[in-house]
Amino acid sequence: MNEIILKAEKLSKKYDNKIVLDDFNFEVFKGEFLSLLGSSGCGKTTLLRLLVGIEQPTSGKIFKYNEDVTDKTPFQRNIGIVFQNYALFPNMTVYDNIAYALSARRLPRNEIKSRVMEIIDVVGLTEHIVKKPRELSGGQQQRVAIARTLVTNPDIILFDEPMSALDANIRVVLRKELKSIQKKYGITMIYVTHDQEEAFALSDRIMVIGDNHIVQLDVPSNLYHHPKNSFVKSFIVEQLDEKVKSILGSIKDE
Amino acid sequence: MNSNSIKNRRKSIDKKEIIRVIYIAIIIVFCFIPLLLLLFNISKQDLTFVFSDNNFKLSIINSLIYTSISTLCSTLLAVISAYFLSRSSINKNIITILLTLPMLIPTLSVGLGIRVLFGTNGLLDVLFNFNYDALGFFGLIIGSIIISFPPTFLIIYDALRYENKSPYDAAEIMGIKKISTFFRVTVPYLMKPLFTAFFACFTLVFSDYGIPMEVAGRIKTLPMYLYEQITSLFKYGRGALVGVFLLVPALVSFVVDLYLKEELSDDVSKSSIKPSKKFDFFSGLICTVILLFIAIPELSFISVSFLKNYTSDPSFTFENIENVFTNTHGVGLLGYIGNSITMSLLTGIFGVIFAYTLAYFSTRNKGKASNALHFLSISSIAIPGIVLGIGYIFLFKETKGWFYGTIAILVVVNMIHFLGSPYIMARNSFSKMNKDYEIVGDTIGVSHARIFLQVLLPNSISTIIEMFSYFFLNSMITISAVAFLNTYANQPLSILITTYEKTGNYEMQAVVSLTILIINLFFKTTFFIIKRVLKKKSNEREYEMISKLTKSQFDLLTYLEKNGRRHYTQRSLSDSISLSLGTINKLIKEVSEAGYISVSDDGEMYITEKGLSALKPYKVKKAIILAAGFSSRLAPVTLVTPKPLVSINSVRIIDTLIDALLNKGIDNITVVRGYKKEQFDVLLEKYPFLQFVDNDDFNTTNNISSIMKVVERIDRCYICEADLFISNEDVISKYEYATCYLGAKVAETEDWCFKNSNGYVSNFQMGGEDCYIAYGISYWNEKDSVQLRADITKTYNSRAGKENFWEAIPLRICKNNYRIELKKCHKSDVIEIDNFDELVAVDESYAEFPGHEQF
Repeated sequence: MNEIILKAEKLSKKYDNKIVLDDFNFEVFKGEFLSLLGSSGCGKTTLLRLLVGIEQPTSGKIFKYNEDVTDKTPFQRNIGIVFQNYALFPNMTVYDNIAYALSARRLPRNEIKSRVMEIIDVVGLTEHIVKKPRELSGGQQQRVAIARTLVTNPDIILFDEPMSALDANIRVVLRKELKSIQKKYGITMIYVTHDQEEAFALSDRIMVIGDNHIVQLDVPSNLYHHPKNSFVKSFIVEQLDEKVKSILGSIKDE
Repeated sequence: MNSNSIKNRRKSIDKKEIIRVIYIAIIIVFCFIPLLLLLFNISKQDLTFVFSDNNFKLSIINSLIYTSISTLCSTLLAVISAYFLSRSSINKNIITILLTLPMLIPTLSVGLGIRVLFGTNGLLDVLFNFNYDALGFFGLIIGSIIISFPPTFLIIYDALRYENKSPYDAAEIMGIKKISTFFRVTVPYLMKPLFTAFFACFTLVFSDYGIPMEVAGRIKTLPMYLYEQITSLFKYGRGALVGVFLLVPALVSFVVDLYLKEELSDDVSKSSIKPSKKFDFFSGLICTVILLFIAIPELSFISVSFLKNYTSDPSFTFENIENVFTNTHGVGLLGYIGNSITMSLLTGIFGVIFAYTLAYFSTRNKGKASNALHFLSISSIAIPGIVLGIGYIFLFKETKGWFYGTIAILVVVNMIHFLGSPYIMARNSFSKMNKDYEIVGDTIGVSHARIFLQVLLPNSISTIIEMFSYFFLNSMITISAVAFLNTYANQPLSILITTYEKTGNYEMQAVVSLTILIINLFFKTTFFIIKRVLKKKSNEREYEMISKLTKSQFDLLTYLEKNGRRHYTQRSLSDSISLSLGTINKLIKEVSEAGYISVSDDGEMYITEKGLSALKPYKVKKAIILAAGFSSRLAPVTLVTPKPLVSINSVRIIDTLIDALLNKGIDNITVVRGYKKEQFDVLLEKYPFLQFVDNDDFNTTNNISSIMKVVERIDRCYICEADLFISNEDVISKYEYATCYLGAKVAETEDWCFKNSNGYVSNFQMGGEDCYIAYGISYWNEKDSVQLRADITKTYNSRAGKENFWEAIPLRICKNNYRIELKKCHKSDVIEIDNFDELVAVDESYAEFPGHEQF
């Protein structure tokens, strides 16, 4: 897990002189699950958009496998993204949504079919292939969005708060599925969230972002046991403790 | 390598910016340069002549007078009809179509209708000696009201339809009087659309010359003054000067609109309060009166088309109609029809392409020039066609032969003249779409052009049809811009009316008007049908994979599945599935060939793996049991125990249902509990897999709140009431072919019941004769589950929505969204225990239940 797949060097982003990201330096290891954790407005979504290549940094560079990809298109970078609202194509069936990237590339039909069906099976949508997105539940829609990205064999998949619109129960199920997909394909995943619990449940490492800076980038246990400063302490440790306390409390009440 | 890719990206950005600049150039050349030329062509002599011309002053004064009066009247009528129509429950579609009928004919035809009815020697005069000369102000005002009413009405009606209804809920809760609500809520809300409508109306009437040409008589009006300067006197400079005056109200209107523009919400919000019958009747009456008024000109010119000579010989004839096919004036009437349709179709096709891509580059694909592009596009709305037409004369005179004087210039001028509204339609359609499609395309390697063609375009098909319809219908009726640009050979039908007007041939004017009306009605209907069919098709396509078995195939397969592998005779099958012997014979052949069933060597018939997987889409996935309520009628027993947990002859009521479900292989069961919810935990001992959902609002709302708690779980499932004592498990099935509701036939009942109309339920009501008692067990297939989820959520969130029984949604409130089969059972299959006496009747041990005396 020590090969570096992605590296940001002095990455900054300004909008009209307002600093959104200030001097971000970090490395992402191949096959890891990295969460970008921070409260809303801290710049985590902007960072995601820079990494995928939808937006350009004001200064700084992004390297993938030691190659400077700062000026490359998302497709050239081979990085996929799953949006919060999924952005599924509403006029296409589940199958067509997933197959679209391949058919646009004029791959042979049989090849498309076998690849799409394999991935549909992995995400558990086999009985829904002829449905349109609006007939699916939120969780199912998200699976389609993931499958649509997976089918192009990306090296990295980025997630922009993908679970925020879902029920608590479904989130837990999807988290497990996400992890198993990651293991199966060995894909590096970078996951934006503002939910501490979610970040801790999923991540190999967590990047805590506050006030447009990286506050601490570390493995979950270190974040919890050795918070670097009071911000991490209040944002991570106390929040998590609070949650645990309230859960224990409600059990006692019963 | 890197610098290369930077260049590539820059290049693609530049390419789109170049397209935007080209579009801007097109609009400037075809829309604003003509206006500038108009100004440059006004000479000093023109100024002195026009400003010293008494006729000009008179024209301005007259125009202002009749325009103001008719605008006021028209807006008032529009408000009245829109208010009553939107607030009543009368059929809105038909009335809206009828009220906007004048939008399908040239304004000349409206003028003609008034003239032949009210004029000297008019129909009223000839038939009834009603001798009132309508030429002059009276005719101008009536005609102007009629032509300006439909668009004004539509603006206000849309505003009222899309109005947020929650302030009214609030007002009602606070007990504010209706009349006060009207002035405090409705009127302030309407101010903005009212201003928009008023100015639009004023501009329309002020620059229209169709009505003045037919009915003004000796009264001078501004548009007619301009028309004469150009078409009879060929004084283009003077015409241009008058054109500038006509532009003024349009500009004012445009500026006002820019300030007032407000985005309307998407949804037609429905108030759940039903208007009273009295209100409906009154609304109907008002709409009918206005309709009659609007229909006057159409009716009168239609009747004139069937008269020999409406002044001297008003006898019935088909001669005029025959004329359509035999007339050889000019290029022949059929030739003119051809001109009009060709021009309108071309305007529609190119107009849609232009307006849609324009909206794409200004709204969807943003760049530096997007805002400028947007502003120019909506500004084009302000220019009256008559002004645009003169501008085109100046700009394109020199292109005679290859552009000027051809059908191309007519198509172009119409495209520009009618650009604004379709552009806004396209823009709205884009703004409703998810903004990230292109980015997704970027990451999966699909170009923006492909996303445009394969995602955006298919998702705005109905908008595109609407845009096309707008371009087409308006090109069919326009007399403004094209009036100065057509030639003898390419003259459109609408302009032909002016030719007949000059020769005083009313019958032919009427026939031409009628022809336009018929063509437009035909196309409007066609567009409507296309839209419907597309919508239906897309719905059907989604489900065609699922309903692959026919009903009888399904019945046979489920019967075999249930009864297992053994010898069946065709006779016994015929009896059990109630199909004729002949049908069974054919059916068995059918499903054998499909590989669904097989017969072993020793003659045993059984369902194959393939047959089972064909049945799979029909397998009931789960069950939802509603058990939250407190059954007061079963008190005193239910004071202690919730009704579903009450035992009858030592069997709990709910167990009969759960057992039935389990025996049919349905083990995904959700129980919604509320009243004494903790008691339900006891069920887990026997059924550990039960899922509980709690509804704590059970005593303040109806059972819709229970279903709302599990609305996301509705999917190919049974929805059951928990208090039914099931004595025959076959009321539950492992497979269901279609959405159905359980009922048992009775001669008379006071319970909720429905009628059997050809196998489907109808007339859901409380109490009835010769009907089916509605037992609370229903099944919802895939398609209907989607619909039901949506309808329940919508109703629940609507005003007073929480007062409903959930059953009322599919069976009454939204019944047109469903076709629910009647699943018949025998009355003894399900025992409903509705009150304490009935309980005692089936289980005597309750007779001495403590507290029963009080109930």
